[in-house]
Amino acid sequence: MAATASATKARDERLTESSLLKRLLSRPELGAAGGAILVWIFFAIIAPEGFLSLRGTASYLEVSSHLGILAVAVSLLMIGGEFDLSIGSMLGFAGVVMAILSTVLGVPLYLSSLIALALALGVGFVNGYMVNKTKLPSFIITLAGLFIIRGLTIAFMRLMTGRTQLGSLDSAPGYAVLRAIFGADITLAGVGFPISILWWLAFAGLATWLLLRTSVGNWIFGAGGAAAAARNVGVPVDRVKIGLFMLTAFAAWLVATIQIAVVKSADTKRGEGQEFISIIAVVIGGTLLTGGYGSAVGAILGALIFGMVRQGIVFAGVDADWFQVFMGAMLIIAVLVNNFIRRRAEEARR
Amino acid sequence: MSRYKKPVAIYLVLLLLVIATGVTFAQKDRADIRIVVVSHGQASDPFWSVVKNGVDRAAQDMKVTVEYQAPQTFDMVAMSQLIDAAVASNPDGLVVSIPDADALGDSIKAAVAAGIPVISMNSGSDVAEELGVMVHVGQTEYEAGLGGGERMAAAGVKNALCVNQEVGNVALDLRCQGFTDAMTAAGATVEVLAVDLADPTDAQQRIAGALTANPDIDGILTLGPTGSAPAMAALEEGGMLGAIKLATFDLSPEVLAAIRDGNMLFAIDQQQYIQGYLPIVLLTLFNTNLNTIANDVLMTGPGFVTQATAAAVIELSAAGTR
Amino acid sequence: MTANGTPMIDVRDIHKFFGNVTALSGVSMNVHAGEVMCLLGDNGAGKSTLIKTLSGVHKPDKGEYYVEGKHVDFDSPRDALNHGIATVYQDLAMIPLMSISRNFFLGSEPTRGRWLFKRFDVKFADKVAREELKRMGIDIRDPSQPVGTLSGGERQSVAIARAVHFGAKVLILDEPTAALGVKQAGVVLRYIAQARARGIAVVFITHNPHHAYAVGDRFTILKRGQSFGTFTKEELSREEMVRMMSGADELDALTHELSMNNEQ
Repeated sequence: MAATASATKARDERLTESSLLKRLLSRPELGAAGGAILVWIFFAIIAPEGFLSLRGTASYLEVSSHLGILAVAVSLLMIGGEFDLSIGSMLGFAGVVMAILSTVLGVPLYLSSLIALALALGVGFVNGYMVNKTKLPSFIITLAGLFIIRGLTIAFMRLMTGRTQLGSLDSAPGYAVLRAIFGADITLAGVGFPISILWWLAFAGLATWLLLRTSVGNWIFGAGGAAAAARNVGVPVDRVKIGLFMLTAFAAWLVATIQIAVVKSADTKRGEGQEFISIIAVVIGGTLLTGGYGSAVGAILGALIFGMVRQGIVFAGVDADWFQVFMGAMLIIAVLVNNFIRRRAEEARR
Repeated sequence: MSRYKKPVAIYLVLLLLVIATGVTFAQKDRADIRIVVVSHGQASDPFWSVVKNGVDRAAQDMKVTVEYQAPQTFDMVAMSQLIDAAVASNPDGLVVSIPDADALGDSIKAAVAAGIPVISMNSGSDVAEELGVMVHVGQTEYEAGLGGGERMAAAGVKNALCVNQEVGNVALDLRCQGFTDAMTAAGATVEVLAVDLADPTDAQQRIAGALTANPDIDGILTLGPTGSAPAMAALEEGGMLGAIKLATFDLSPEVLAAIRDGNMLFAIDQQQYIQGYLPIVLLTLFNTNLNTIANDVLMTGPGFVTQATAAAVIELSAAGTR
Repeated sequence: MTANGTPMIDVRDIHKFFGNVTALSGVSMNVHAGEVMCLLGDNGAGKSTLIKTLSGVHKPDKGEYYVEGKHVDFDSPRDALNHGIATVYQDLAMIPLMSISRNFFLGSEPTRGRWLFKRFDVKFADKVAREELKRMGIDIRDPSQPVGTLSGGERQSVAIARAVHFGAKVLILDEPTAALGVKQAGVVLRYIAQARARGIAVVFITHNPHHAYAVGDRFTILKRGQSFGTFTKEELSREEMVRMMSGADELDALTHELSMNNEQ
């Protein structure tokens, strides 16, 4: 009896589940979470009056929410092993389509918004389809998309209106509905928090649930980790990738719509550069460039860091030109720290 | 856990180092008054670097703290967010340019509602008052265009091109509008040509193309030095420099040289240096002495630089103050 | 052997061409349930092409393919998988950064709930993965650790255990021991024996005659797209097998020729 009891105990020892701490340490978001806390503390110390005020918080959360919606979609795509460099152009395109349909053709904004959504999803589908069919790297295909879509945006806008910017959209038909859904403010203690923050968190929540708690999420990890192996066990890798490209197109459309509701204008340059900034936010959040590993929560944190730094610099009185230096430095530091922590955590588990 | 102390400490130190470097680089002497300037012009733009020079000089002369913020590109969403951040930082004064009243209106109204004195400059003369701004320092674009049109018509131009690099920027649209109205009143015609000045070679080709398409054109008005350069290049390539009357808005050493040499008729000067300088002075005086200005618009232009005055102004332009 | 001796899989006179190149020329092979068939041959012999044909990646240009006596014509690997033919490739079995249980259930994830609320049952996956692996003799401490932390042999074993768990009737293994050391190869060979004991038909491709002889019941030897035939252990000694695989006849002739040149 004693022998078996101690044998059981010995076996149990070896089978001990990793402690909660070790589990936390191996999560991809750890580095980003630490970074977010540090950045927050930093600006809280340097510029408390602006940064810690309710208004200051609303301002950086707004910036984070716009980027964050894109970053969440991009993180899922990158985990799935692909890139979408056309997301910024897609943003501009969706906005311009909406504005033109409503001002030139008089379509109510909420309807033209749906039409823009359909177009965006179509472009996303084409991106995914081309990647599957041509087997070219998505980097190349969506890079072409970046130029083609931006060009179409400019050409279409000039053709229909002769301008590069369309304003006064608040007098376009249907604006009030758009504003209520995408552009309203939620007032907390006298300060308006834009509803885009709620959209961001809801989108992120759904994406995280999809990634971690559904079969499709497992397929995304599989497609990004080793597409051929995943195909061999029956994962519909092609369909997953198309779905992911349609998701990024959706995110671009959502941000475009939110921006029109808030800023009341559309222009042909909208969204320029966002594709790279969202990749930065995603990588800061712990997702690997090579695919198969990462987290949507990390992308949330990456976008949060971006927003805090972007606005925090103004609070701290630093020239806005330094912002790009910080962004680049932060990216490298974040990736190094993420790698370090992940390697240590993995060793700790053995 | 001790394993992780080191990397976290390194992270913290690195982060602080990077940001502290930027902060110390940009730190000015602390004074009681803090003014934030948010404009849509990047410091790399030759026009806006003159404005920033004016801002910096005023900060020195008035001994106040001024911070200059601008988005990386012409991005109205980013600019409205920068204004929001500026408002949240609770400055003693805010200076903004208003190239898009729709996009920026809410943020500016929020600033005014928060009790921050706001002065607008450069763009937005027509909307400034309704937004609650103290005063607009700049050139009223329509009148400037009008003046330009009158001068060009007087010089005998019958068919002109108005080259616009940011169609949709209300200020620039108004310039072409005023120009067109004055020319039409004098019996001439005007065609607006839209170009993208981020790509000067493209702009030059576009202008050359317009000249070939319409050989009756005998006058060109550009809306800035980054427009006049491609226009001059196009004319030079076509051998039409001097034959076609060229005029532009805003100064640069090249523009002034062209006027002095007779290749350009005149330049409409909005004196952007004092657009940067004066708002700082006014906000300082408001904060210390509650002084205000009675006009809605403090007109810094139009001033016309012609062959007679060009030489004198050239040196000042090279120094970055004109 | 199945009850009436019908082979699990039976391919007859398979030909496969890639443009001008003849990859397979008249190859026939059959494997019964509870039997390990070793597929041997030098590089370029056609082993890869044959198993890809068996697993549904390629369609044969000529010849017939029967599974459990019924004629089949697979369109895709998924198709073959649905018929119970599971293939484990050497490098492409597992996704290193993904956890063991997620890898185990990739493509066949257990779910709870319906419609939009269909959840990937992570707890169930962890439990079953650990149990299945324990049954095959691997004791993993934490099924949610990444597969990359396992050794090469353990990874192959997880892949095999996965195939067995999901009801494979035929297990095709593409050089599973090629990159492994002696001890790890032993782990995999033990697995193969266990799979056979469970009644699965195993096709085991290898370069290594020792491994083949250790676990194989019958041996098919391919050379340049053609089959030398299928032999049982009694019919073929290990030395003879090695000779046939490595083209020892040609080597003998060459040695003879070289030594003759030397003597002159």
